[in-house]
Amino acid sequence: MIDEYSGIVPKGDLILLQKLGEKMKNRSFLHINSTRGGGGVAEILQRMIPILVELGIDAKWEVIKGDAKFFDITKKIHNALQGNPETITEEMWEYHFEVNRKNAEVYQLDADAVLIHDPQPSPLIEFRKGGQWIWRCHIDASNPVKDVWNYLIRYCEKYDAAIFSVEKFAQAMMIDQFIIPPSVDPISEKNRELREDEIDETVIKFQIPTNRPILLQVSRFDRFKDPVGVIRAYQIVKKYNDCILILAGSPASDDPEGELVLRETQEAAGNDPDIYILLLPPFSDKDINALQRIATVILQKSSKEGFGLTVSEAMWKEKPVIGGAAGGIPLQIAHGITGFLVHSFEGAAFRVRQLLNNPDLAKRIGENAKAYVRANFLITRQIRDYLSLWYSMENEGKNILEL
Amino acid sequence: MEDREPGNPLGPFEFKECISLVKSTGKKARTLRELRELIALVGDESIYYHTYQYYLRRQILEYNNDFAHWAGENLEERALSEYFSNVDPFLFKDVADLRKALLKVIDDYLERFPEPREVTPGNEFYFNEAIILVFPAGLRAFNLAEFFIAIKYIDAPSVYYHFYEGKMRLRKGIDDFSKWIEDGLGRKDLAARIRSIDPLMHTLEGIREHINEMVEEEVKKDMEVMPK
Repeated sequence: MIDEYSGIVPKGDLILLQKLGEKMKNRSFLHINSTRGGGGVAEILQRMIPILVELGIDAKWEVIKGDAKFFDITKKIHNALQGNPETITEEMWEYHFEVNRKNAEVYQLDADAVLIHDPQPSPLIEFRKGGQWIWRCHIDASNPVKDVWNYLIRYCEKYDAAIFSVEKFAQAMMIDQFIIPPSVDPISEKNRELREDEIDETVIKFQIPTNRPILLQVSRFDRFKDPVGVIRAYQIVKKYNDCILILAGSPASDDPEGELVLRETQEAAGNDPDIYILLLPPFSDKDINALQRIATVILQKSSKEGFGLTVSEAMWKEKPVIGGAAGGIPLQIAHGITGFLVHSFEGAAFRVRQLLNNPDLAKRIGENAKAYVRANFLITRQIRDYLSLWYSMENEGKNILEL
Repeated sequence: MEDREPGNPLGPFEFKECISLVKSTGKKARTLRELRELIALVGDESIYYHTYQYYLRRQILEYNNDFAHWAGENLEERALSEYFSNVDPFLFKDVADLRKALLKVIDDYLERFPEPREVTPGNEFYFNEAIILVFPAGLRAFNLAEFFIAIKYIDAPSVYYHFYEGKMRLRKGIDDFSKWIEDGLGRKDLAARIRSIDPLMHTLEGIREHINEMVEEEVKKDMEVMPK
């Protein structure tokens, strides 16, 4: 499997993976998260575990088991860490712990390194049997509900180290904190190179004209992704440059707010035949890939964002991306070099016009964008960082490690 | 080991590269005064990360360290950013002196200009440090012609390791490349030309390009013959 990445990812990443694999050969590395399917964490683990095994590491992935009540509680904890007002009662915390205790009876928690993803399985630390324990927080916990964070930190500070995706997502803690951004997989269905006929299939399916520049935003119909703002930007651009706009997102059947935002978006689009609002079912990765590849300019006009990996996905396809200056987007876009950062729909419109009128600029930014993602946001870098962290924890106190 | 360049006392040039594992210190500054307090307080590793190691991450040539970058992009104090960018870390004998210079930039600025505003949440300066992992890049050059080929194919972090980190390890402005070229191959002029590349004025790709051009010229000269 590692061979599939050869020639795509930086050679140094593959060399370092081999070196770290030799150091950690036959040693056990256990990952525990809360779901086997759906979401970025599971997506990465699905690819990462076989790679670790191929490197000679005894890697395993377990999923915490719980009932609806447990996941309802952990959803509230998740929301509270993101700053949404939630109350977690003492009884709920006890239930959270109790489910973890039962899970601990089943798992072999004696691995040489244990990486616990997010808050759901965090109490498992109480049942550690040795090894290095690392808590990986994938959430933007920069502004959590204080009571909830103060309770959770009792578990988190018992770990040997914590990992956050972005420095500003981290919290002051008594343990070492590392910054490891998430990543995209260049050979997954969403990011792999597509043949012309595969792209055509999507174009025909959605009846998209390709004779004019295409603006695209791929995101849920969520207020923080500002789809209405994208339409406003397009409407300004349209006065100067003929183009079409595609807004592609999943239907929000279980999210009343999403339904509302979708309606607002449809209303804002009016009867403009050049605006395509596409409701894509789950597992539309190939279609998203194709849409990104036919786009001229890609937007991610978020006003609030987690890491915003869709930006890296678009950049990987050598597209100029215009992103809202929120969450992890400024880490991916260096303004004017690997894309543009904007703060308003007027700003977005201005940058779209600049790109449509300067194809050379768009090309240069697209090339820079791909190079930047290649160096910083591919899955091999993330695996390399996890192994480097484990190795550095076993060589504590050294700032330079030579392999 | 095969010796394709007999007489080279240093042996072949073994290309290495490095990655940095970023560690948060948990300290952040919202204002210029807080930045000053923390620059005075944090460990040498953190100052090192935000200055010398900036070149491993740099994308915008306008800035020469994270302090300049923050002053320009987040605090939006252009003049302060220029002063920070003008601090050349390679001129100092150690981090302690570099730290003093950074503090002086802030003190001078606060004396001459109105107090800058506080940044909005999320735009604070976050003090980090790094653990560096060094490993072989999988390339070795026995002579200048091989070096010329290799420099084109190494990853950018290898350029950083040998050119920037090298200057810190070897001091006196000497990088790994020019040291090998001078001490191993005895090519003083080429070494001097490589040393004259200003580390502050280029991206890693720019440094690679310059070295590549200089070495290419030298290799071409070696190959030239006068037709009889």
